[in-house]
Amino acid sequence: MVATDLLTQSVVNGLLLGGIYALAALGLSLVFGIMDIVNLAHGHMLMVGAYIAILLFTATGITPVVGMLLAMVLMFGLGVLLQKVLLKHVVDEGIEQPIIVLFGLALILQNLGRVLLGGDARTADIGLPGSGIDVGLAYMSFPRTVTFVIAVLLIVLTWAFLQYTKTGQAIRATAQNRTAAKYMGIDTDQIYVITLGIGTALAGAAGALLSMLFPIDPYVGWSYLLKTFAVVVLGGVGSVIGTLVGGLVLGVSENLGALYLGGGYRNVVSLLIFLVVLLVKPEGLFGGSGGGE
Amino acid sequence: MARDDTSIRRRTYLKGAGATSTLAITGLAGCTLGGGGGDDGGDGSGDGGGDGGDSGDGGGDSGGDGGGDTTPLTIAGTVPETGSFSSLGEDLRRGYELGVARMNEELDRDVELILRDDESDAQTLREQLQAIVSNNDVNMIWGSFSSLLVTAGSAFAENEGLPFLGIAFAYEAPHRNDNYEWTFAPFPKSRDVARSTLGTLQLIPEEERPTNVGIWEPNSGWGEEQAQYWEDTLSEAGYDVVMREVFEIGSSDFSTLISQAESNEVEVLLSNPTPPGGITAVNQMQSNNWAPKMLKFVRGADPSAWWSALGESGAYALMCPGWVPGLTGNGNAALRETFFNEYDIESEYMPANVGGSYNLTQVAQQAVEAAGSVEPTAVRDALRSTEFETVIGSFTFEENGLPTEGELTAPTGQWWEGAQRLAYPDTDSERAIDFQYPIPPWSER
Repeated sequence: MVATDLLTQSVVNGLLLGGIYALAALGLSLVFGIMDIVNLAHGHMLMVGAYIAILLFTATGITPVVGMLLAMVLMFGLGVLLQKVLLKHVVDEGIEQPIIVLFGLALILQNLGRVLLGGDARTADIGLPGSGIDVGLAYMSFPRTVTFVIAVLLIVLTWAFLQYTKTGQAIRATAQNRTAAKYMGIDTDQIYVITLGIGTALAGAAGALLSMLFPIDPYVGWSYLLKTFAVVVLGGVGSVIGTLVGGLVLGVSENLGALYLGGGYRNVVSLLIFLVVLLVKPEGLFGGSGGGE
Repeated sequence: MARDDTSIRRRTYLKGAGATSTLAITGLAGCTLGGGGGDDGGDGSGDGGGDGGDSGDGGGDSGGDGGGDTTPLTIAGTVPETGSFSSLGEDLRRGYELGVARMNEELDRDVELILRDDESDAQTLREQLQAIVSNNDVNMIWGSFSSLLVTAGSAFAENEGLPFLGIAFAYEAPHRNDNYEWTFAPFPKSRDVARSTLGTLQLIPEEERPTNVGIWEPNSGWGEEQAQYWEDTLSEAGYDVVMREVFEIGSSDFSTLISQAESNEVEVLLSNPTPPGGITAVNQMQSNNWAPKMLKFVRGADPSAWWSALGESGAYALMCPGWVPGLTGNGNAALRETFFNEYDIESEYMPANVGGSYNLTQVAQQAVEAAGSVEPTAVRDALRSTEFETVIGSFTFEENGLPTEGELTAPTGQWWEGAQRLAYPDTDSERAIDFQYPIPPWSER
C-alpha cells in the first residue's frame, strides 16, 4: 500500500513535468496537424534549444529562462530556413520524402552536437532566487514549478495566437483545407513557413526548460521524440488543449508507473497508454478526424 | 579534442620516472594499506591496516624482469574520453601514462600502450580493440571503466586469448559465470564495497548511528548484485533496509525515488548510478529539499566532474573508486611524486581514478616480471600465481580473476572541499579525512 503523501507527491511531480511534455509536443502537433509532416527531427530541435540555454548559462550565468527566449528566436529562424530551403521541395510529395529528410536532419543535428560539444551530458541551473512550495501532502520543487508555469503560459499564448490573430486563423484555415485557403487568398506557402518556425521555436523553448531539470546530451532527441509523439497521439493531432491534457497524462502516468511498478517501467507504462489509445481511440482524446485536411 | 592514439615511450617521462626510481630505492618504510594482505578480515570494524605515513613506501616494483627476453610489450587499451563516462577518461589515461613510463624505466623491454577512445560504448570499444589487435602484435589488453565496458573488453580478450586487466569493475558474477581464463580485476569487488560501507557506518559513534538504509538499484546485473550485497551485509549487521527500488540506467528523473526515500525515512542512501545519473540525482534531491544523512554513490561520485557540476552541493558524498588520496604504502608516495611532477594541477589531491589505473599498471609490470616473458600464457599463469603489491593493497587472484576474498579493502572516499579524500579505512595520512557525518539539511548548507 502506497502512502497518501507519496502518491500525492508522485502525481504533483508528474503534473509539473507533464506541462513541459505538453509544450514539447505542441510544436510537433502543430506541424503534423497543419503540414501533414511527421517531424522526426523534433526531439533533436529540442536538444538544440536546450544546448542554446545551457551554453548561454555556462558562458554568462544568464538563467535558462532568458536563454529560452533566445532559443525560441534562433529556433524560429532555423524552422523558417528549413522550410524555405529544404522542406518546401518535399512537403507535397507524400509522407515518405519529408520523413527521410527530417530523419537525416535529426542525425545531422545529433552528430553536430557530438562533434561540437562532446558526448557529455550537460545541465543548467535555474539561476533564479526562490524556493519550493510546501502544499501539505506534497512539495513542489522550485525549478519544476517555474518550468511548469512557463510551459503552460507558452501553451496558452500559442492557443490565443491561433484563436485570435489573423495569422492564427489563416493557419487553422490552411489546416482544415489548404486548397480552399489558397482560393481565399491565403499564402499557404508562407503559412507553412510560419508553422514550422513556431513548431521549432516551441521545441527550442521546451528544450531550454528541460535543461533546468535533466541532463542533456546529443542523444536525448530520440527519447523526447517518442514522448512527444505519445502526447500527440494521446491528445489528438492539432489540438492544443488535447496536447496539454496528453502531456499531463503522460507525466503522471510515468511517475505512477515508476511508483507502483518500479523505475524500470517508467517508459513502459507511458508507451502502453500510447498503444491503448491508438487501438481504442486512434484520433486521440481531443482529436477530430485527425490530421490536416 | 580526444586523442585517437597514444604511444608512450620511455624517454617521455624521464623526470617522473627518475623520482619513482629514487623513491623505490630509498623508500623502506614498508607501510601496508587497507588491511595489507588480509587484515580486513571481513568484519568491517575499521582496522584498515597500518599507516606509516606517506613517505618512504617500499614500492613493490622491483627493477627489471631478468632473463634475456627483451621482446617489447605491446598493450591495447581503451578509455572513455567521450560519452557517459567521459569525465573519467582523462584520469584513467593519466594513471596508465604514469604507469607505462615507470614500466619503461624498470622493465628490460620497451613498453608501448596503444590507447583509444571507446566513447563509453561497448560496441565502439570492441571495434577499437579489434582495430588495435589487427594492426599490432598485442600481448595484453587493459580495459576502460565500469562493468558495462570492462565486460565488453574482457569478452574480446577471452576470445583473443590475451591477458586482460580491468579496473572500475566491481561486478563479480561474470568472473564466476563466464569461465574467465584471461580476465583479472585488480579492484575491490561488490562484496568489498558492501563491507566497506559497513565499516564506514561503524566509524559513526553508536548513539548517532543511523538505522534506515535505502538502496537505489540500477537495472543491471551489477546493480542487482551490489544491492544484494548491501542488503545482506547491512541487514546482518542489524541495519534496517527500508527501501530497495530499481531504476533504469540512463534515467534522468529521480523524483519518484526521492519521494519514496523521504516517505520511508531513509537515512543512508546507497546506489551505483552512472556519473551523470548521480549528479542529476543530487541536483533533484536539492530541488526537492531532501537529503539523506549519508550518501554513497559508487561510480556516480567517482569523477572530478562530480565537484565541477555540483560544487558544495556534492560535498559529503561517498564513493568507492578503488583508490583514494590518503592511502599509503606500496608505491603511493612514488605515484604522488610522479603525478605532481608530470601534471600541473592546482589541487594537492590526485583524482581518484589515476590511482586505480596506476594500480593496474603495477599488476601488469609485476606479472611480466614474474613471467619473464610477454607470452600471453606465461603472463596469465603469473597473474594467477603472483602476490601483487600495488597502491590499493596486497593481493592475489583466484583462478577466475577475482581478487582473493578478504585481501582487499575497498577504500571509501568522501568529497570534501573539492577533493576526494579517504574516509575509510581510518588512517592518519594528512590526505585522509575524518568521516563527515551527518549530511546537514539543504537549508543549512
